[in-house]
Amino acid sequence: MSLDYVKFSNGFEKFMPKEYRDMVEHGPFGKKVTVSQMGNFKEVLEEHPMCAGCAMTLFIRLAMVAFPNPEDTITVGTAGCGRLAISQAAIPFVYGNYGDQNGVASGLSRGLRLRFGDKPKDVVVMAGDGGTADIGFQQVLHSWFRKERFTTIMLDNEVYGNTGGQESGMTNRGAVLKMAPLGKKFEKMDMLQMAKVAGCAYVATVVPNNPRRVESVIKKAVLIAREVGSTYIQAYTSCNIEYAIPTDKVMEDAKAVENDRYQFTEYVSDEAKQYLTERYGYKEFLAKPAAPAAAIPGKA
Amino acid sequence: MYLVADISVEICAAKSCKLCTQYCPEANTIQYSDELGKDKGFKYGSAYVAVDRCKGCAQCVWVCDNMAKNYAIKMIMIDQLPKAALTENITYGEKSTTAVFASPSAG
Repeated sequence: MSLDYVKFSNGFEKFMPKEYRDMVEHGPFGKKVTVSQMGNFKEVLEEHPMCAGCAMTLFIRLAMVAFPNPEDTITVGTAGCGRLAISQAAIPFVYGNYGDQNGVASGLSRGLRLRFGDKPKDVVVMAGDGGTADIGFQQVLHSWFRKERFTTIMLDNEVYGNTGGQESGMTNRGAVLKMAPLGKKFEKMDMLQMAKVAGCAYVATVVPNNPRRVESVIKKAVLIAREVGSTYIQAYTSCNIEYAIPTDKVMEDAKAVENDRYQFTEYVSDEAKQYLTERYGYKEFLAKPAAPAAAIPGKA
Repeated sequence: MYLVADISVEICAAKSCKLCTQYCPEANTIQYSDELGKDKGFKYGSAYVAVDRCKGCAQCVWVCDNMAKNYAIKMIMIDQLPKAALTENITYGEKSTTAVFASPSAG
């Protein structure tokens, strides 16, 4: 949980694999890296066993680049595809029992505050739609009601992709899946509204076909969670296996879904706006200057 | 044999949009090198693929063809590539990377 954990132990440098040496010497720790610099520095995410062309992996990769202080971040996850990639990163990862990720993150976040005081230590929960909206629903909602200061990210692939294609609460009504052959009979859960009602300070939807937006949303959510309260990001990360999307059409699907039901939305509480503006110099929430009065045609 | 992405340096170095790198689901797979373009007289560098990490999804091809409209990336059978970059032959610099290109089967 500091820059010390990405240093070589004395005498071991020459025995470490190349990927580790690259991480220590050219990783993002202690630096500010952006999405536009990708391909030029060693990323915290390593090789992973996720399927080829998986949009969830792309989102996780972008999220790892976007973390404001990767050396002071802990990720928490639960059963689901996402943990296969999240656990392959040079960031400590806590793997909870199914559905208890927000409970684990609550304790972790409080413990880190006790131990490190004002020094920011970020806790980020990344779990699938099943882990967040179905099996972990009670703990997720209660962590929001308690205004626990960490970020919850839902990797919404609208299906239980890891176990053969069962419908989840986030599956769309009528969707026919391998293990839901008659089609889902209920509407997709409105987790965004629930997050707002439960008092989250920041709520956003995002699709990974806009990397810079993913970066911006994650940075804001993590920074707000340091001081203000719970933050929630809902990301559409298609399952190209269960929804039979050809791998080279994954971004085409992301664009279509973004236009259909996943338009970018962002809710920022007034307190969070003030915090981002005053503490981190965000200008987008400043009051806009009044427009100059329109000139009257024909008058000098 | 399997398909991997192959990027045309001539087309890529002329545009240098870097979109493929940002849309690849695999970390440190589509890398960027300033020297690749400069060696051929271009102002910008070029992207290249670490073929040992490429899973062949062709998402970069869609992005290059449909978003960037550069048509610089093709999927090629790995044994048809005379030279390619492997992770172990990539060196990171201050602002860019450098790769030694060799026969992928020799790696």
